[in-house]
Amino acid sequence: MNHDVAVVGAGPAGLATAVTAARAGCRVALLDSAPRLGGQFWRHGASESSGREHQAWSVFAALRADLLDSEVDYTAAAAVWFVESTPDGFRLQVTGHPPVRARRLVVATGAYDRALPFPGWDLPGVVTPGAAQALLKGSGVAVGARVVVAGAGPFLLPVATGLLAAGARVAGVYEAGEPLRYARRPGAIALGKLAEAARYAATLARHRVPYRTGHAVVAAHGESAVSSVEVGRLDRHGAVVSGSRRSIGCDAVTVGYGFTPQLELPLALGCGTWLDVDGSLVLEVDVAGRTTVPGVYAAGEVTGVGGADLALTEGRLVGAVVALASGRRSPYPDSVLTRMLDRRASQRRFARLMHEVHAPPAGWPSWLDDSTLVCRCEEVPLARVRAAVTDLGATDARTVRGLCRTGMGWCQGRTCGYATAALTARLGGRALTAADLVAYARRPIAQPVPLAELAGPADQSGGKRYRPA
Amino acid sequence: MKLRRSLPRPARYSGFGLLRHALGGAPWPPVWRRHDLRDRYDVVVIGGGVHGLATAYYLAANHGVNNVAVLERGYLGGGASGRNTAIIRSNYLTPEGVAFYHRSVRLYESLAADLNFNVMFSQRGHLTLAHTDSALRTMRWRAEVNKLQGVDSSLVGRSEIGSLVPHLDVSDRPRFPILGGLWHPPGGIVRHDAVVWGYARGADAAGVHLHQDTEVVGIDVTGGRVQGVRTNRGRIAAPAVVACTAGWASTVCDLAGVALPITTFPLQAAVTEPVRPFLDTVVVSGTRHVYVSQTDRGELVFGAAVDPFPSYSSRGSLEFTEGVAAHVLELMPALAPVRILRQWAGLCDMTPDFSPVMGPTPVEGFYVDVGWGTYGFKAGPVAGETMASLVATGKTPDLIAPFDLARFTDGRLVGERGAAAVGH
Ligand SMILES: Cc1cc2nc3c(=O)[nH]c(=O)nc-3n(C[C@H](O)[C@H](O)[C@H](O)COP(=O)(O)OP(=O)(O)OC[C@H]3O[C@@H](n4cnc5c(N)ncnc54)[C@H](O)[C@@H]3O)c2cc1C
Ligand SMILES: Cc1cc2nc3c(=O)[nH]c(=O)nc-3n(C[C@H](O)[C@H](O)[C@H](O)COP(=O)(O)OP(=O)(O)OC[C@H]3O[C@@H](n4cnc5c(N)ncnc54)[C@H](O)[C@@H]3O)c2cc1C
Repeated sequence: MNHDVAVVGAGPAGLATAVTAARAGCRVALLDSAPRLGGQFWRHGASESSGREHQAWSVFAALRADLLDSEVDYTAAAAVWFVESTPDGFRLQVTGHPPVRARRLVVATGAYDRALPFPGWDLPGVVTPGAAQALLKGSGVAVGARVVVAGAGPFLLPVATGLLAAGARVAGVYEAGEPLRYARRPGAIALGKLAEAARYAATLARHRVPYRTGHAVVAAHGESAVSSVEVGRLDRHGAVVSGSRRSIGCDAVTVGYGFTPQLELPLALGCGTWLDVDGSLVLEVDVAGRTTVPGVYAAGEVTGVGGADLALTEGRLVGAVVALASGRRSPYPDSVLTRMLDRRASQRRFARLMHEVHAPPAGWPSWLDDSTLVCRCEEVPLARVRAAVTDLGATDARTVRGLCRTGMGWCQGRTCGYATAALTARLGGRALTAADLVAYARRPIAQPVPLAELAGPADQSGGKRYRPA
Repeated sequence: MKLRRSLPRPARYSGFGLLRHALGGAPWPPVWRRHDLRDRYDVVVIGGGVHGLATAYYLAANHGVNNVAVLERGYLGGGASGRNTAIIRSNYLTPEGVAFYHRSVRLYESLAADLNFNVMFSQRGHLTLAHTDSALRTMRWRAEVNKLQGVDSSLVGRSEIGSLVPHLDVSDRPRFPILGGLWHPPGGIVRHDAVVWGYARGADAAGVHLHQDTEVVGIDVTGGRVQGVRTNRGRIAAPAVVACTAGWASTVCDLAGVALPITTFPLQAAVTEPVRPFLDTVVVSGTRHVYVSQTDRGELVFGAAVDPFPSYSSRGSLEFTEGVAAHVLELMPALAPVRILRQWAGLCDMTPDFSPVMGPTPVEGFYVDVGWGTYGFKAGPVAGETMASLVATGKTPDLIAPFDLARFTDGRLVGERGAAAVGH
């Protein structure tokens, strides 16, 4: 069947889009690689009770009820691994399912953690906060018994309190940014955010968890797994203040510097991108959520990381926009749409402030030594990345990849892409550009796909050549 | 042929040097240097792939001609030399082809030592499968031609194939069962970047200027003689210009007014996630349009024939990946759960007879080393050696005389299709 719109991603943004467009009468396909609805924010285990503790669970429950009531054609455990445009829209290749065709495409694929390398980050027990959170929310497992939480961004707080609730000890929360800077722009912060922050702070205080700002984990040590980390105070440039390093024992550490949007599908279609204030590659969209490619829309973290509330607002807006584009009536009156636009503008302002406060510390490369791996899959140390620029003459990130294989392994640049691109720019004495990041974000095969899936069984159009015996 | 040893050598890599640098932190010298563009060189080589770099290297190393520039519009090795699947072999079909590629395999065998740079040449053996009687007939013919030229190559049956590559389905079950194969022990794979850098480093040390980000936009010809080239960085005078531009051969030779019987096609390849080493040969199936090898990191590398239509696009396509997956699984059903991570494409300059075009052109002083199609990486060393000899001495070496441009007008084709269509 040919859908009016295919929505990829069933997190806050995709769910809201699908429900809104369906309410307006669109035939909607909703696809998500995860086994359950909810995306990163409302990730939950197999039992319903594992989700009730989540923030705004009632919002999720209502959206899910709406979805089940609607005609939306939702497929779980359906990873979209290839997209191509066809004369009448788009064709999506989906693992385990026949291809999906739709006139319009909404990209709501969210984001994943942004990692920065540091000595010892390849030890078992060093994970990203998102991974720790996914383990907690998805399986109720804490990554360690004594965990250091570090990096930058408001996300560190729910990770720390989540670990505490699961019975882990948190040996400290080290935020590289300076959250006091929020105070300089009080108008930009909604009251709800302040209350949320206060709740987290109270929980940390109750468990006597040290919370330090302007600090970072700059090295991890251990034999077969991490057993301690070095924490240092950062100066204005993000370099470690001498004499400030100290060691903290732990059996796990989560480190992450914000999120990076997941852009394989829109990049494969040629959608334009730009460099957001937090240094992330994000989709270029207009006020209606249209990307630079006709028929392709985007909502949520892919248009700029801003959290679940913003993702919900954008999802509703884009749902209304695709409904209108599909010749249906808007499910919302003009006045409501106008209010949503205002709301989104203020949520974006807050996101911008958040990025300024929690930007990755510029001096992070000074934490590395020559042997620190920049790319863990292909085991490429800093020295080889530097040699690619200074000795072999590379001027851009793509060439560095060709010369030293960063981003060519298992993660295909998802983990090391930002760091390599940033290092290349810095070694070349220039600022990071969107083109540097595109070099590591373009993956025509959006998700690793098994040979058996590629080979068959025959799809509805009978296109496949291989039939397993 | 013997290398002259008097030229300046690059800084030697040795165990002692490694220790000195590791312990003392002494910086390694840059692998190659940047230079200002001279306004005149004795030889200008267009194209910084394996062919251009090898030609420049042997001009300096074997003939003492080192006022040479290699002009590369992107970065060294950024063309097909950085995208190929690096299969090296010499079991071709024609006596001319076999002799030529045999010399290249020989050069590869000593290349790491000659360049003092580990090129990771792994002679793991090359197995071509036959699924039809006619394929078997061609292989028998190839094996005979190969043996006459002193190349180790023989026909093997199903059971031998089963023990060479235990994961192959040698039963009668597949739609096209395996009937036999051509087994070529000296064949294998090499690390393509290392070959490129090794030649670049050697050429640089010998005084050759390597200019990256330098695109040739015009070739000056007066009175039927080449005068030099025009680049985005200025004009260069040169009495000899060599085009080593593979996929872009037609457009570059156009600048000199030389027409080539070449059509450019994309060729794709794909790579899987790393898996435990299990495959220590290169396996090719012409009938199934696929070949497979495993890298030292464990990834499986897949390739096929060129795309079905000419183009200068280097985008991967779904048709390719699906086809390759289906064909690989018919050969090795156990690979079903292995996941593809990445695919890519490069350009191939295909000739009508699947042999290269090497030698002088109607424009005096303008030489071509093109038409490398899907099989030119293995020829890098021998092409460099022979082209250098031609440019330096003005005499065409016997090894490449059959591959001249005039053969297309004289009707002397060197048909290698039967040995080069899929198995690059
Ligand atoms: C690991 C992680 C944990 C997080 N935890 C929290 C938290 O606890 N609290 C908080 O406030 N914020 C959290 N965030 C921030 C989160 O990004 C936002 O809160 C919110 O979930 C964004 O909504 P979204 O709809 O834009 O994207 P997401 O919620 O990320 O939803 C995107 C969905 O798209 C699916 N998807 C992606 N690619 C494909 C594909 N190719 N095919 C099919 N499906 C695909 C994913 O499975 C996912 O379900 C987390 C982020 C991450 C990365
Ligand atoms: C996917 C794939 C798999 C392959 N597998 C094999 C294999 O297994 N075995 C094998 O032997 N061969 C293989 N080949 C073929 C092989 O890669 C090529 O034949 C070989 O690399 C050609 O080398 P080259 O130096 O002539 O060309 P290239 O490496 O392409 O170099 C030509 C250079 O010229 C430059 N250039 C072009 N125009 C200009 C200009 N106007 N000015 C300046 N510079 C210019 C380009 O940027 C390029 O870097 C494969 C090819 C592909 C694409």
